[in-house]
Amino acid sequence: MYTEMDEAFTISQSDKRAMYLQIMEQIKQRIAVGDWTEGQAIPSIRQLAVDLQVSVITVKRAYLELEREGVIVTQQGKGSHVASKPGLGAQLREQELEQHLQQAARIAALLGLRPEELEERLRDAGDRLNGTEAEKETV
Amino acid sequence: MRGSVIWQLVLKDWRLYRGLIVFSIIGGALALAIVQWRKEPPLIIGAICFFSALILVGHMLPIAGIVNERKKQNLAFLMSLPLSSIQYTTAKVISIFGTFLIPWLTLLAAAVLLVESRGFIPRGYIPIVVILAFFPFIGTCLITGVALVGETEGWGLGANVFCNIVYSLTWPFLIQIPGLMTNANGPTVVWSAVVLKVLGAELGLSVLILALTFYFQSRKRDFV
Amino acid sequence: MSDYAIETSRICKEYPFFSLENVSLNVPEGQIMGLIGPNGAGKSTTIRILLGLVHQDSGDVRVLGRRMPAEQVAAKWDIGFASEDMRLYEGMTLDWHIGFIRSIYPAWDAKYAQLLLKRFGLKAEQKIKGFSHGQRVKATLLLVLARRPKLLILDEPTTGLDPVARHEILRELTGVMADEGRSILFSSHHTQDVEQISDRITFIDRGRVIDSMDKEIYLDRWRRLRLEVPAGVELPALPGIIGVRQEGRVAVATANAFVPDLPSAYENTGVRVQRVESMTLEEIFVANVEHSREREEACEAL
Repeated sequence: MYTEMDEAFTISQSDKRAMYLQIMEQIKQRIAVGDWTEGQAIPSIRQLAVDLQVSVITVKRAYLELEREGVIVTQQGKGSHVASKPGLGAQLREQELEQHLQQAARIAALLGLRPEELEERLRDAGDRLNGTEAEKETV
Repeated sequence: MRGSVIWQLVLKDWRLYRGLIVFSIIGGALALAIVQWRKEPPLIIGAICFFSALILVGHMLPIAGIVNERKKQNLAFLMSLPLSSIQYTTAKVISIFGTFLIPWLTLLAAAVLLVESRGFIPRGYIPIVVILAFFPFIGTCLITGVALVGETEGWGLGANVFCNIVYSLTWPFLIQIPGLMTNANGPTVVWSAVVLKVLGAELGLSVLILALTFYFQSRKRDFV
Repeated sequence: MSDYAIETSRICKEYPFFSLENVSLNVPEGQIMGLIGPNGAGKSTTIRILLGLVHQDSGDVRVLGRRMPAEQVAAKWDIGFASEDMRLYEGMTLDWHIGFIRSIYPAWDAKYAQLLLKRFGLKAEQKIKGFSHGQRVKATLLLVLARRPKLLILDEPTTGLDPVARHEILRELTGVMADEGRSILFSSHHTQDVEQISDRITFIDRGRVIDSMDKEIYLDRWRRLRLEVPAGVELPALPGIIGVRQEGRVAVATANAFVPDLPSAYENTGVRVQRVESMTLEEIFVANVEHSREREEACEAL
């Protein structure tokens, strides 16, 4: 049994990225957050296509890519499930962080920032986050 | 399975024509009632009422049942069903003639009875009445055929006008056929060879028109 | 039994002012095919040929394994057809139409029909003439959907519908895909819908098939490249580029056969690739039609 599709899973037409990428990202997010755990069964390709109202081929592509990345496993006749890799959720979180960091590095280069300046900015951002966290706790 | 699809279409038409069917029966009855009412009505008025009723019904049925169906774009809906163009044609012919025969036979029988019982029209006229009754019958065949084969509304309506003109033109020629009217004024019903030949020709013409209709329908390459 | 719901090969049909030429398209079982193209491109004619309502002049057509138009009656038992120019009987109620369909087709899912009546917001006891346009379209589709036919052929099923109604229809159409034995072919002007639910896309213009392929592959082949052309550099003509528009130093190249090393091919000639963008189906549609028309005019000019 897999968890029911709730409204949080949506494909946006205005999102410039391809539909299959959106699907992949949302599945990874589910796993990263812990909603979907390692080894857990996930909707079949057809079922997800029906739920999301997108073509089967788009979901198939998303699943194929996810399988290639080792995130999910699809077995003939048995459906699909999250890869039984311990720490998968954390690993996906790592990948997300890595992507953001590379993005930050690229933009910093465009702005002409030196590595130390970028580091400083990162620390500031972290402090700001901790500050708001602290505020939340005191309230 | 096949027979039942045609039958369902016929039933559908009868259900759709319910108003028309009732109207035609009432119209026919009324026409005859008018003829009955006066003791010795001029033959002409009676004849006019009689034929008008038949023509009205006979022409209206294919216009309502075929031309309108195509005009109102119901044809695409019907052709999405599991039937061929020939099955559609068959169903139409059955439903139209099935409906037409009610007033046609009723009026014909009543007209014959009228002549039989009242006596102010010589009984020898009965074969003539039958011959005349076939005019709207042929007309209905023609309009049905043209409406089915013709692609636009204009064909059916044009055939309607054509028939009306032909009726009035044919009668004077018909009377002139040697031997046809010989026994008309007599007291007995005589089915002479001439009369039978004319009736045969009328029936043959009806069958020919319907056969041609089916032929042209089967040759159509664009049905909707 | 073939594995294709629809197989056509080089259909030709000639009319006085229009002709279909060598139209070939295939829909594997279990897939949705979206048919797109400008008005008058030949979508409706093609669809009618698939149903055996119009006889092709030449070319093979097999629908659910049956040759058309010869076996059209047999095929239509398993096909649900709805077209934008189709009308129900105005003077009759939706209930009557349901009864009529049931009297012909043995398979009718009454529970699903009830559900659709609710979802579509239709009153079965109401006469068709009292329905709005959107309701009529939904009524026609209900009559086709509740039979659960193996193949749905729909000519503009969402045209003229408000966004909510369109969403309702798309929901039912994708719902059909839960059964991998069922297939759909639909034509539409709403490229968004086609992009969203089609597994395959066939593009028709002026009676010819311009493209017919897997949707994901198709979308991947099209890219818009935003270029900066430095002074003294000439924009090269690269393979896979369908058209270029240049104004001064800025240019936009539209690729219809994009490959990953295309940007570097430009960079090697000195042209800077500022951005590579994917294109929506609508943008592809317009680019395709414009290009194909330009090419045709160029050929005629020769």
